[in-house]
Amino acid sequence: MENAIEVAGLVKVYKNGTKAVDGISFHVARGEIFGLLGPNGAGKSTTIKILIGLLNPTAGELRINGVDIRAYPAEIKRATGYAAQETAIDDRLTGWENISLQGRFYHLPGREIRDRATEMLKMFDLYERRKDLTATYSGGMLKRLDIACALIHRPQILFLDEPTLGLDVQTRQMIWDYIERLRTEYGMTIFVTTHYMEEADVLCDRVAIIDQGKIVALDTPDALKAGIGGDVIYVRFSGIDGNEAALRTKIGAVAHVRRVEPTADGAYRVIVEQAGEETIPQLFALCDQLGITINAVSLKKPSLDDVYLHFTGRAMRDAEESREAHARARIMRGRARRGK
Amino acid sequence: MTLLFDTWYVAKRELIKFFRTKVRLVVTLVQPVIWLAFMGNTMNQVTDNPFGAQLFGTSNYLAFMTPGVILMTVLFGGVFGGMSIVWDRRIGYLEKLMAAPINRGAIPFGKSLAVMVQGAIQVAAIVIIATLFGVRFQTGIGGILVIILLASLFSGILSGISLSLAASIRTIETLMAVVNLFTLPLMFASNALFPIDMMPGWLATIARLNPVTYAVGPIRELTLHGWEWGKILPGAGVIVGLTLVFMGVSQLVFQRATSE
Ligand SMILES: Nc1ncnc2c1ncn2[C@@H]1O[C@H](COP(=O)(O)OP(=O)(O)OP(=O)(O)O)[C@@H](O)[C@H]1O
Ligand SMILES: [Mg+2]
Repeated sequence: MENAIEVAGLVKVYKNGTKAVDGISFHVARGEIFGLLGPNGAGKSTTIKILIGLLNPTAGELRINGVDIRAYPAEIKRATGYAAQETAIDDRLTGWENISLQGRFYHLPGREIRDRATEMLKMFDLYERRKDLTATYSGGMLKRLDIACALIHRPQILFLDEPTLGLDVQTRQMIWDYIERLRTEYGMTIFVTTHYMEEADVLCDRVAIIDQGKIVALDTPDALKAGIGGDVIYVRFSGIDGNEAALRTKIGAVAHVRRVEPTADGAYRVIVEQAGEETIPQLFALCDQLGITINAVSLKKPSLDDVYLHFTGRAMRDAEESREAHARARIMRGRARRGK
Repeated sequence: MTLLFDTWYVAKRELIKFFRTKVRLVVTLVQPVIWLAFMGNTMNQVTDNPFGAQLFGTSNYLAFMTPGVILMTVLFGGVFGGMSIVWDRRIGYLEKLMAAPINRGAIPFGKSLAVMVQGAIQVAAIVIIATLFGVRFQTGIGGILVIILLASLFSGILSGISLSLAASIRTIETLMAVVNLFTLPLMFASNALFPIDMMPGWLATIARLNPVTYAVGPIRELTLHGWEWGKILPGAGVIVGLTLVFMGVSQLVFQRATSE
C-alpha cells in the first residue's frame, strides 16, 4: 500500500526571493501521526500549504495517496483537511453556519452536512453553542471549531498547523485527545506542526525537525533521543573513604560511560552515551565488588527539547516566548475588535 | 455547474451577514428617506414652474431625483465587494476557501453577486419609499423590475472595481479611501441630481462621459416617461458592457494575486 504522503526534493522560493523550503524529502505512512518541528520561520507552514495545494512548489515531487498533487488538485483537496495556524472562523456567523458553509465548499449534500456537522460539533463539545455567533466563543472553542470544520468532509489526511498554540494546558490536552481519537476511530493520517516538544514526544509516531528549510533530523522520538545520547545518571555513594579517584576511574571504564563528574553536593553525575537504564545495574555490580553502597540513584534521559536544541542549535525559549506573545497579542486584538 | 453552486454559497455567506447586521439594514432604508425628504423638498420649487419642469423633464423633483438616489446607493454599495475580500484575507478565511475544492472564480463572482443582491434589495426599498413620497413610476411594475436589474448590474461594476483594487490594497481603510476618491466625483459629475444643461461647460463635458450618467439615462426614462427604447438601450448597453468588463478584470486580478 502506498504512503499517505510522499515528498521528494521539495523546494519553495517565494516571489520575493525567500527560500522557505530548501529541498526536503520525507514520507508519511497511512494512519501515522507525523510531527514537523522547527523554529519560527523554518518553513513548516509553507510545507503544509504546498501539500494541500495552497501554494505551488518551486521544485520537487509531491504525492498524496500516490497521486501527484499538481495533476489532480481537486481530488487531493477532497482527501485532505486543513486547519491553519491562525484560526480562520467568520466571527459574524454562528458555529453551525461556519461548519455547514464549509460543507458546501466541499460540495457535500445538505443531509450529509447536517449529520456530519452534528457529529463533529458534538465530538468537539460545541454542539450546545452551535447557534451562537462565534464572536462569543473563547480562543479554545474557536480552535476546536476550526478543526471540526476541517473534518466536515471526512478527510483521510488531516493537516494541523500548530493546533495548540496559545491554548491553556487543559485545552491542549483535549485537542491532542481528539487527534488520538481521529486516528484510532477513523484511521486518519495526521500531519501536525507544534512548538510543544512534550506533546510531539507523546503523540507523534515520528517527527521531523526542520531548520532553515532543511530537514535536520527525522525518526521516532525515542530513536532521536537515543541518537543524541547523553543519559545522565545521578548517584550518591557512601563508604568511599579516600577511594574517590579509583572509583571514578572504574566507573569511567564501564561500557558506554562518557565521563564522570562530581556534583556540588558530594554525589556524582555519570554521563552515558545511551541506555542509561542498562548502565545502572553495572554500577551496582561494581559497588558490590568494591564494598561501596549506593544511597540514591536517578536517571535523566534527554528530552525532545534536548534533541531539538541539539539539531537546531538555537535557544528554543526565546522563539517560544515571542511566539506566545504574538499569539496573546492576536487574541487581545481579536477581543478588542469584537468589543470585549 | 460547480462554479454556479460555489458562487451562490460564497454570496450566501455575505447575505447571511447582511441581513444579520440590523444597523446596516436600517441605514439602507433611512438614507433614501433622508435624501428624498430633505433634499427633495427643498428642491421642489425648482421644478414647480414651466421652465424648470422643461429643464428637468418633470414637474416633480423627487421623481427626477429618485434615479439619482438609486444610483448613489448602488455606487457606494459596490465597495463592500472589495472590503469583504480584504477582510477574508485578514482573518485567513480566504485561504480556507482556497484550500477547499471550489472553483476559485467563484470567490470574486460570489462577492459581486452578494453586492448585486444587496443592491437590488436596497433599490426595491427606495422604490417603495419614493412611491410613498408620491413618485409615480410611469412604466409600472415591469419598468420597476428593469430599474432594479439595471441598478443591480451597476453595483456589479463598482464591486468589480473594488475587488480588483483589493488585490493590491490590503487594508479596509485604504480601500475605502481609494474607492471614495472616485465614487464621490463620479456621483457629483453626473446628471444624477441635476440636469446636465444646468452645469458649467467643463462639468457638462465630464458628466456626458461619466458612466453614472449613462446609467441614469435608462432609469430616469423608465421612471419619468415610458418604454422609449432609443433612450433606454444605449445606457443599458453601457451598464451591461461595463459590468462584464469589470467582472472579468476582477477575475484576472484575483487569479494573479492568489497564485504564489
Ligand atoms: N507569503 C510569503 N511571502 C514571502 N515570504 C514568506 C511568505 N510566507 C512565509 N514567508 C517566509 O518563508 C519562511 C518560512 O515561513 P513559514 O511560515 O513556513 O515558517 P514556519 O516554520 O511556519 O514558522 P512559524 O513557526 O513562525 O509559524 C520565513 O522566512 C517567512 O518569512
Ligand atoms: Mg507556521
